[in-house]
Amino acid sequence: MGLNIDVHGLQLTYDTHPVLDGTEFSVERGDLVALLGANGAGKSTLLRCISRVLQPTGGQIILEGQQLQNFNTKEVARLMAVVPQETTADFDFTVEDIVMMGRFPYLRRFQKEDQGDQEIVRRAMEMTGISHLADRSIATLSGGEKQRVIMARAVSQQPEVLLLDEPTANLDIGYQSMLLELASRLNREKDVTVIAAIHDINLAVHHFNRFILLSGGRVLAAGRAEEVITPENIQKSYGVSASTYRHPLHGVLQVSVVGGRKTGEHVEGGPAAHVIGGGEEALPALELLSQKGCRLSVGPVSAQDSGCRFAHFHSLPVIIVPPFTSMNSEHRSEHLKMMRKADAVVVPPIPFGEGNLPIFEEVEIILKEGKAVYIIDLEGVEARDYSGRARNLLKGLIKQGAVALEKVEDLPAVINSGYNRDGGGVNER
Amino acid sequence: MAVLFMLLVFSTIAAMVWGAVEIAWRDVFVVLANTLPFYESVAGTEITQVYRDILLQIRVPRVILAAAVGSSLAVAGAVFQGLFRNPMADPYVIGISSGAALGAVFAMLGGFSLALGGFGAVPLFAFAGGISTMMLVYSMARVGRAVPVMTLLLAGIAVSAFLSALVSLFTYFAGEKLHMVVFWMMGGLGGATWQQVQVMVPYALAGYICVSFFSRELNAMLLGEETASNLGVNTEQVKKILLVGASLLVAAAVSTSGIIGFVGLVVPHFVRLVAGPDHRFLIPASALLGGSLLIATDTLARIIIAPSELPVGIITALIGAPMFIYLLKKRRKLRYFGGGG
Repeated sequence: MGLNIDVHGLQLTYDTHPVLDGTEFSVERGDLVALLGANGAGKSTLLRCISRVLQPTGGQIILEGQQLQNFNTKEVARLMAVVPQETTADFDFTVEDIVMMGRFPYLRRFQKEDQGDQEIVRRAMEMTGISHLADRSIATLSGGEKQRVIMARAVSQQPEVLLLDEPTANLDIGYQSMLLELASRLNREKDVTVIAAIHDINLAVHHFNRFILLSGGRVLAAGRAEEVITPENIQKSYGVSASTYRHPLHGVLQVSVVGGRKTGEHVEGGPAAHVIGGGEEALPALELLSQKGCRLSVGPVSAQDSGCRFAHFHSLPVIIVPPFTSMNSEHRSEHLKMMRKADAVVVPPIPFGEGNLPIFEEVEIILKEGKAVYIIDLEGVEARDYSGRARNLLKGLIKQGAVALEKVEDLPAVINSGYNRDGGGVNER
Repeated sequence: MAVLFMLLVFSTIAAMVWGAVEIAWRDVFVVLANTLPFYESVAGTEITQVYRDILLQIRVPRVILAAAVGSSLAVAGAVFQGLFRNPMADPYVIGISSGAALGAVFAMLGGFSLALGGFGAVPLFAFAGGISTMMLVYSMARVGRAVPVMTLLLAGIAVSAFLSALVSLFTYFAGEKLHMVVFWMMGGLGGATWQQVQVMVPYALAGYICVSFFSRELNAMLLGEETASNLGVNTEQVKKILLVGASLLVAAAVSTSGIIGFVGLVVPHFVRLVAGPDHRFLIPASALLGGSLLIATDTLARIIIAPSELPVGIITALIGAPMFIYLLKKRRKLRYFGGGG
């Protein structure tokens, strides 16, 4: 059935340090809620207050209209199951023993587990895919298997509310989504209210439909992903600047804090490199050079291109051309200027067609001016040449001094050595 | 379980047959049968009164006492190991034995002739010392309404060390009573009487019942208190009850027999190695095995240097340790307490 949970002005103070400071929210029955927030924001503490392991020092938790304190321990255990981050399983219980413990709140003292209990346990193990482990000792299982056993125990508890406290923190990516998928299946099929504290926001947005963001023991935002997961909220709660975007493959809102620089912030020093073209093929070169501290420029690319997104994300100079058109003279002269500013020009293994072949004319110009030009994967050009002329054009460039490199990984070394030789480099600084 | 029960019966019979004086097993049965009110004696006449007295006044109470002490220690050991989730825990871990020893030494050196219900001062003081130590440790470890097990364990170790130092201090000045003190601390069942049985057994039974009510809770507690609580165990209440129950068992055992080591540590492990950690089996099985083990070792203690006696604590360790090591080696995958612990 699922239950409503209302949390009113919850307070909890460890020594003098308030961990929960007026936490306030409500969860509707059948909600699938991800509890987000930085370390120490109070996620685990809040869950432990709801599961009654901790006594809040103030405020109220209301379960389906009734005060949580008014339930006894077994009643609470029949309503709520908890899956913790990690379970130490030092003793030699079998998997089935552990799952059977989920029936504890339903059994009277000395009452034996009956067929009904056994059936529930069997189905819980089936659902979590651990039937084949039933007789194994819990101590011999891997982290992922163990966590599924704990999940099966929670299922056999037949709860109305499932609380998960960073259940995926120690799991590999396969088990992570398997476990959260199990939680959302319980939510779908049995209408169980699920509240999960979770670190990985990008994982959370896949599996949950409501989000509560905690910061300093208070609710900073609650609601749908778009309302909660915003750069401003991330900045406030996690203290990092982040960008949010729709994932190109699955379209789900994502957060990235990696390598994002604010506009106007530039890398000091380092060789300047211009990477021609964009697309998935240019990204490895862009990423590698960016990592090695090169000042990059990109282009020409179309606005929807991943190279263009990369440039925007890192606030790099970029030449954008409209899609499905060839470059006009304005673009071409701009491109020439951009290449002139760089210490080196890179031709990544991009596809060639009549549309982008004119680029080579400008490349030829800067080659003659003595600029270093690196062509990656000359051998493989035929497979991505839609004009039939690219190979010859590239060979022509090499005759005029361009350098052919086998793979992207060779780039940083040659660019750096060229940079140092030309007197812009490390030696002088 | 049936095997363990047979073991208990067998060791009981052996204990009655062997001793400084050997009595034929047939005679043992006859004498025992004759004590039953409705049984008409058949061949009882040939058995001398001396044998009858040896059996009924000395060996039978001693065997019962050995069984009670052995099972009390084993059950208390199982409970403490489960409660503290620590394989090193034994019945004496929270200092009950040190408290009892202090009480006993105090009584011996003070030469009190206090007697209550036909009881000597030594067991009375020992019992009081054990129980008050447990209460002291409990109150020291309490934080608000909760008693964290780790604090309990540490407080127990600290109190135990302090009391042991006091015992050593008194022992140092014991003078001519040194022999008595040292012997008491090695543990033994010499001079067992029916009176002791009458007092010890009710305590042991009360403690055992108290503990066995909470076997399933104890299983859940093995997974950690938080998990147990999430499964619907009222952890603070269960801890308190188990602590009191196990302490009763230990105090009763120590006050009747002194400090007998090893039984309480090893017997539960032994059962776990063979049958797993489920307390619904572990507790009764430990009781049976502990009882049998102490009967058997006590019998050995009586006959090895007969007519004199060895302290039984020496035998339990001498025999129990190699047996335990053998079992550990045999089950090489030491997984019953988890690889890393």
